Amino acid sequence: MDWTAIALSVRLATIVSLVLLVLGLPVAYWLTFSPRRWKFLVEAVVALPLVLPPTVLGFYVLVALGTKSPLGRAWMAWTGHGLAFTFEALVIASTLYSLPFAVQPVASAFAQIDRTLLEASATLGVGRVATFFRVIVPMSIQGICAGLILTFAHTLGEFGVVLMVGGNLPGITRTVSISIYDEVQSLNFSAANQTALTLLIFSFVALAVVNALTRRPWAGLHGA
Amino acid sequence: MNLSVRLRLRLSSSFSLDVDFTVNPGVTIVFGESGSGKTTLLRSIAGFSRPEQGRVTIGERVLYDSASGTNIDPSLRRVGFVFQDLALFPHLSAAQNIEYGLASLDRNERRRRTAAIASSFDIVDVLGRRPKQISGGERQRVGLARTLVTNPDVLLLDEPLSALDRKTQSRIMADLQRWNVEHQIPILYVTHSTREAFTLGDRVLVLDDGAIVADGTPDQVIGQWAHEH
Repeated sequence: MDWTAIALSVRLATIVSLVLLVLGLPVAYWLTFSPRRWKFLVEAVVALPLVLPPTVLGFYVLVALGTKSPLGRAWMAWTGHGLAFTFEALVIASTLYSLPFAVQPVASAFAQIDRTLLEASATLGVGRVATFFRVIVPMSIQGICAGLILTFAHTLGEFGVVLMVGGNLPGITRTVSISIYDEVQSLNFSAANQTALTLLIFSFVALAVVNALTRRPWAGLHGA
Repeated sequence: MNLSVRLRLRLSSSFSLDVDFTVNPGVTIVFGESGSGKTTLLRSIAGFSRPEQGRVTIGERVLYDSASGTNIDPSLRRVGFVFQDLALFPHLSAAQNIEYGLASLDRNERRRRTAAIASSFDIVDVLGRRPKQISGGERQRVGLARTLVTNPDVLLLDEPLSALDRKTQSRIMADLQRWNVEHQIPILYVTHSTREAFTLGDRVLVLDDGAIVADGTPDQVIGQWAHEH
């Protein structure tokens, strides 16, 4: 089993999950509560990675991070090396690719909150930011956890975007999915099977936890 | 301190709210049939519906003025609102619900005020429980205590007792009357119930199709309204 690739994937998934926790909450809040008529366009942009081929997203991210792009030039000036084919590039690409997995469960949880509770909070002298942290977040904690788990699991299993943006550099950009692909290419099915099985079990457990959080099958047992 | 309300709000092609009145400290009943604009009136005063024209003031303090473009955020209006469904926070205990609007005070002062109002409303025994775990009457008193503990400048109540039995209604009306005697602020109380209007009201405004069609004491107004309907 390629433990270096597994450790790299876990590190990538953890960072992306935390980044999307910070970015996803305000995006989900805006999508849920904004009265703007054109917000369907932003919803479409957020959901785009669900339907876009990973190679297409990966290609455009690669172009955006290249040394001819403003972002790539700024990175080069700051660090002295290019952004493409680095771990940081993987974080940026994975954040974009996993955005809908972080935002949609949270937005769905936000939408279920009774708006009168938010109005009650306002009449008690509590502003919007404090209401967000004192009412909206605690009441949406299951959706937020579901978003985090889905983001982590999705990032852990990425292949196309990672390959386009990061290539296959051991210890730097070689994630667990690429490691499996490499083992299969080398006809080393036993090693591929061990890593693939680990990923399969993890994905199953993650989805089971998400389903348990969103459907709460134990809720009826104690009249909760 | 008076509450002065002059506003016009068009809700549909066939319905507009168009009112102009001033209320003094004490309970003013807003009476009328469903769809007459009672809830919309309260929501406009609280800042949740924006009128096209008008001016809302508490004493010298302007909450809304279409002419100058003033529209104070609901969280800064110091207008207490008891909602028809109470809107208690389900993830918080009764005590935490009551303390919710006191975050700017230190912990000891929050505890002291919560204990005092809980004692006054006889809900000390349920302070540790969540809204789902207490009776309808207890929930109502928690909702009322949560609003009153913040010492609002104006109190709005939207049919707060409609889901309760008569005995519980009587008890809560007595609580509200006692509080009103001590604090003397303008209270707008929306109800369908003539009993609540006679028990609590110093004055009754009858709203019909978005306009005030009668204004007087409960004796003067309710009898006439009942005769016409």
